[in-house]
Amino acid sequence: MKKTLSLALALMLAAITVLSVVPAMADGKTVINYWSNDRHDETYMTEMINKFNEAHDDIEIKMTIMTDNFEQSILLAYQGGEAPDLVGQSIDIKNFSEYGAIESLTPYIEKDAEYQKVNEPFEHKYEGLNALGDDIYWVASSMRSGVRIEYNKDLVAAAGAEGIPATLDEYIALAKKITEAGAGNYYGIGFTSSSPFERQLEMMAQVSGIFYYDYVNGKFDFSGYKPILEKGRELVAVAYPDQQGVDNMRALFAGGAFALWGNASQEAGVFTQQFPVKDFEWGVAPVPSLDGEIKGALQVNPNKGYIMMSSCQNKDAAWEVIKYFQSEEFLKGYLENGYSLPITTYMDGIMDKTKTGRMADFSLLPYESVYPAVPTINLSGDNYRTVLWNAIMGYVEIDAAIEDLNTRYNEAYEEDILSGTVKRLVIADYDPLHPSAGTATYLDK
Amino acid sequence: MTKVTITDKPSRPVNKKMRLKESGGLAAGLMLAPSLFFLCVCSIYPFIWIFRYVCYNYNGFKATYTGLRNFQRMLADAKFWGSVGTTFEYAALKLIFIIPLALIMAVLLNQKLKGSSFFRGVYFMPTVISSSISGMIFTFIFATGNGILNGILMKLGFISASSPIGWLTDAGVVMAAVTIMSVWGGFGNYMLYFVTGMTSISEDVYESSRIDGANAVQTFFRITLPMLAPVLKVVLMLAITGAFKDYEAIMVLTNGGPGNRTNVMFLYIYNLIFSAEAGSQAQIGYGALLSVMAAVIVGAVTIVYNLVARRLDDVM
Repeated sequence: MKKTLSLALALMLAAITVLSVVPAMADGKTVINYWSNDRHDETYMTEMINKFNEAHDDIEIKMTIMTDNFEQSILLAYQGGEAPDLVGQSIDIKNFSEYGAIESLTPYIEKDAEYQKVNEPFEHKYEGLNALGDDIYWVASSMRSGVRIEYNKDLVAAAGAEGIPATLDEYIALAKKITEAGAGNYYGIGFTSSSPFERQLEMMAQVSGIFYYDYVNGKFDFSGYKPILEKGRELVAVAYPDQQGVDNMRALFAGGAFALWGNASQEAGVFTQQFPVKDFEWGVAPVPSLDGEIKGALQVNPNKGYIMMSSCQNKDAAWEVIKYFQSEEFLKGYLENGYSLPITTYMDGIMDKTKTGRMADFSLLPYESVYPAVPTINLSGDNYRTVLWNAIMGYVEIDAAIEDLNTRYNEAYEEDILSGTVKRLVIADYDPLHPSAGTATYLDK
Repeated sequence: MTKVTITDKPSRPVNKKMRLKESGGLAAGLMLAPSLFFLCVCSIYPFIWIFRYVCYNYNGFKATYTGLRNFQRMLADAKFWGSVGTTFEYAALKLIFIIPLALIMAVLLNQKLKGSSFFRGVYFMPTVISSSISGMIFTFIFATGNGILNGILMKLGFISASSPIGWLTDAGVVMAAVTIMSVWGGFGNYMLYFVTGMTSISEDVYESSRIDGANAVQTFFRITLPMLAPVLKVVLMLAITGAFKDYEAIMVLTNGGPGNRTNVMFLYIYNLIFSAEAGSQAQIGYGALLSVMAAVIVGAVTIVYNLVARRLDDVM
């Protein structure tokens, strides 16, 4: 009896070991594990994955969604030999590629004319973001627009304005007028506590031609932000008297607590589904610039790309899954459901835009573009967004904040270049209106 | 007087193995092995691991040796030293309120009054709530425009609608908000320690004091407090180390703001290691060095406390 029991246990142990070592197979199918950090499109993704799994008897897709510490989770899984086959694009391709953890998709793309037609991978190749040299690591299916001003049409009209003005001074005057009219019941503008500088003023600086990295000379330069910070102080003085989390502020906007709010195309879904605006009409407008003139590109974010891990045991099957996720049929449904904006001319031309609802209001502006990835450094102290917002809030003097950032960022950059941690990025022919058009050079000094 | 003589056992050949077996050393070694293994894997190895990276730039992928650069950075890092100061301020404020409050509540709930068990449970409840959840709850309580606390204060007429208190946005009052939250989240735990300590004080002592005519205040200061001294020492030690290591709820409530006013040292270290944004990358090497320094600071405070406590013991 004892012998039989021991034998049974040994067999069970052996079976478990074999099952855990053999590449994932389910019912004779090759399993492709895909990790995503996108929860907003979960319904559509699940529905389409089920459709794929039913139609295929050779490949099965398993999707796992994790929104916290995505990059660290993938790295740990890779180091532990448990990495998925495909992951969402929200990871630093430079680090992962140098580590040998991700696979270049270029050889697969070059062989596939249909994929090239739908996704235009070579037209949407962004140095440091989705590609390093000739190696493309992910291709964007869509994009998140640059920041827009979402506004309460009733309150703006009551203040005598027809829409959102083109200059920052007029914008401040509008916010002030609404706050005065509100007498404590409603306010002109609202800011969140979560990266507040990024959501409006940084983008106003961008379209005014102000950026924190000097691509031509290959160094950080925050000097241009001074007028933006001064205007920011005027805006904060008339803003809703609290900076809460993003969702709290969205709910307050939807409830009519303030008139002007800044965020990108995800707000199309937010103000129609998550916090539907019912009591007033809301509009969408471009962010104003310092003098009304557009001198720099507004940053857009290509998204919904798929990265193949180098540890993937079934690379051809994984490529089949990427092709399915970025097929015409899949993308048409994705874009027409309003999950994101089209990035390719091809998809823009064939999708039915009447189905996207308020997402249409966030269509690409002529001056929207992708900025080349700025080198990441080992910085001590606060990052520039925190420091510049602290200057706006008056916790630190504007000149002192700019000097501190110029010193700390450049010192850390030079030290990192010296130690070989990063290389200096220089784009000699950099054009602020077409930032991704220049030729990137990486220098050792 | 009886003389006891010990006679030798009949001699026999004893080898080393047998001696070990007979002395129980083998059994003890085997029983200790799992604990030793986990001590090495879970405690000693991570500690060595921290030291391994203090001279490196390490982002989880690539470790670049930088010599003493991280030490130089630490000495010049105004934000880190600012966060150390903030940690001391926060810990002092928390301890000033949490220990007396826990003691008072323990005395009240130890009176064997009706419903005291229920209230013990109620006061202990915040301790079992996740600190990040309590941080989130307090964002609703402390919100300026539509917050619960400001709403109550307005109803009571303490503040007007036109000048609400910016609990989380005003650098002058945000520390009060953080202290209230941390006291709420922790005093139930310490209260329970005190209640447990009080139950071990013999009822006879109280009875004698009553016969001698001692009133409630005299009983508290002359009997309860001195007899609780050993428990109080342990509670204080736990409260001090706990306060110095707090950061989760603060991260959710204020994320160190406004203007770094509530940026405690472990929050800064967490952000260095886990938050790569705005041109900066994960800094595990530098974060490891700051963790070592933070451990030294907490250790020094604990040693000072122990010395003071010992001196007080001698005096008392």
